Amino acid sequence: MTRHLFNRRAVLGGAAAATGVALSGLPARASGDVIAAIYPGSWEEAFRSIVGPALTEASGVNLELDPLYAVDQIAKARAARGLAPFDVFVLDPGPAASGMEMGLYQPLDMSKLSNAAKLPQVFVDDFSIPVAAQVVGIAYNPTKVAKPAGWADLFKPEFASRLGLTGFQTTFGTTSLIEISKIFGGSETDVAPAMEKIKEILPQVAAVAQPSAMAGLFQQGQIDLMYTNTQTVATLKGRGVDIEFAVPETGAIAFVTTMHIVKDAENVENAYKYLDTVISAGVQDKLMQAPFNFIPVNGDVDLLDTLPMASLDEMNGFVRHDWTKINPLRPGWIEQFNREVAA
Amino acid sequence: MTAAASDLRAGAVARLRLSPPEWPLVAPLGLIFVGFFLAPLALLVWTSMHADAEMTRLGPESWMRFLGDPFYLKVAADTLLLGLKTVALTLVLGVAIGLIFLEASPAQRTALLFIIILPLLLSVVVRTFAWIVILGSEGVVSNAALALGLTSAPFSLLQTELGLIISLAQIELPLMLLPLLSVMGRIDPNLLDASRALGASRWRTLWRVILPLSAPGLTAGCLLVFASSTAAFISQSVIGGGRLIYMPLVIWQQSIVVYNWPFAAVVSLCLLISVLGVIGVIHWLGRRVRA
Repeated sequence: MTRHLFNRRAVLGGAAAATGVALSGLPARASGDVIAAIYPGSWEEAFRSIVGPALTEASGVNLELDPLYAVDQIAKARAARGLAPFDVFVLDPGPAASGMEMGLYQPLDMSKLSNAAKLPQVFVDDFSIPVAAQVVGIAYNPTKVAKPAGWADLFKPEFASRLGLTGFQTTFGTTSLIEISKIFGGSETDVAPAMEKIKEILPQVAAVAQPSAMAGLFQQGQIDLMYTNTQTVATLKGRGVDIEFAVPETGAIAFVTTMHIVKDAENVENAYKYLDTVISAGVQDKLMQAPFNFIPVNGDVDLLDTLPMASLDEMNGFVRHDWTKINPLRPGWIEQFNREVAA
Repeated sequence: MTAAASDLRAGAVARLRLSPPEWPLVAPLGLIFVGFFLAPLALLVWTSMHADAEMTRLGPESWMRFLGDPFYLKVAADTLLLGLKTVALTLVLGVAIGLIFLEASPAQRTALLFIIILPLLLSVVVRTFAWIVILGSEGVVSNAALALGLTSAPFSLLQTELGLIISLAQIELPLMLLPLLSVMGRIDPNLLDASRALGASRWRTLWRVILPLSAPGLTAGCLLVFASSTAAFISQSVIGGGRLIYMPLVIWQQSIVVYNWPFAAVVSLCLLISVLGVIGVIHWLGRRVRA
């Protein structure tokens, strides 16, 4: 009985049909395309609705997005070994420094980017251009706690009991913990003082959570203080959450998200057109508006008054970090944080 | 009866022993299995045998680092315990729902099955975030306890093992119920009547008749719930938070955040081996109960 249920012709026919369906779904890698890695979530949404149409209008190039977190992009590019899975990276400083060390990028020819001169030059180098800035500080719920003056305040009992902690897995987490460490005698390469302080307040803190859970915990009122970036604050505010951004007295942390062209990229010329569109004043201005709340990098854009600075030049005075020094130490810090906070 | 059974067995053997012309039909599945399961698994083992994150030399260091560190052994034990506790809770809930199912009319059974399958239609991420709302200090559980006077201050079950087990039990319950109910639904009602007619109490009927006859479903359910809850990365990290550390979190940190693939491979293999070990024990117990 079972033997005749599927005869060879039916199986082969079915297989051929399945292959046909699968092949028709393959992405078309025509000459008018660029494949760009993009962070899932608001970045993907923003780039799909703003950058894609702008790029097609400006140069007829079709933007295809590959939603991947920074670390996944590096992992994917590394695993592909020479066969570029996409043309453009979008990376935060930690992974960007790793990718540089791994030689995953090609040098950029700035003459192909008409908007390159308008970028804050401190953040431009031979292999990358900034596409968005991030400013990190303390977010607090003004209806529940007083405005914290700086990092040290987080460790006072009245603040600690409302604080949400997160470890070294993200750029904002790592840089915030470094700044906390500096207050208590540590440095960019020594976070031991921060760990000590965290151990002291651990029984009181409202939550120790994974970075992705922080916004949800804040929204639900589980925590009323956290270290985070202005974008998260603006997004939560947009949803009606009572949240404000406080610049710590030692200064807010600034870093940029950069874009890089993949070393063996297939669509190099289109990749340049894509980069130039991303940093153009028009696109940067749209990305700055709600609901996306990006911090622009093009000097021609007038900054919104909700941002903690009046011009991009002020970011030169913000705290910056050297990720080539942080990266080698970070695996140890992540592990140490696990051990210290493990229940 | 015996003749029929031996006929059946012979039929099964004949079906297993494939004649040569049928091999090509199995080949696609076999090739997929080799290409997409065995080969990656071999690659994982090979990766785990490297000593350093850059994978420049072979050596047992990554294995030693895991097996020689009490912290990581505790993480492994906690992961397995989390699975076992979740299995225990889903088992109790599953059997209770199974007994209701047993007494239900066909129409009620259909309704019950629909309700059980309903949560599967929601993404696990959505179900997990719903539990943040339920378990938080301003959540349903805390407010209900306050209203009933069971507690004087709001409390949060988030970031606690208890909260995690409760939410995992709800999230994984369909995996227990679907195999269990399909087996329980086939229990001959006459056997229950016979048990009662012969003077067995309700508990005795449950222990001596219903549970042994449900053993295949219980075993399958336990296996699915255990394997799924030990690997439930999203629920573990969102509900469990940063202080409860389980193997999936370590694998994610090592592979995706710090790029130490050999160590991530070691943790993955340890998770695989220990879960297989527990699954073997559950399976063996299931067979013993049936015997």
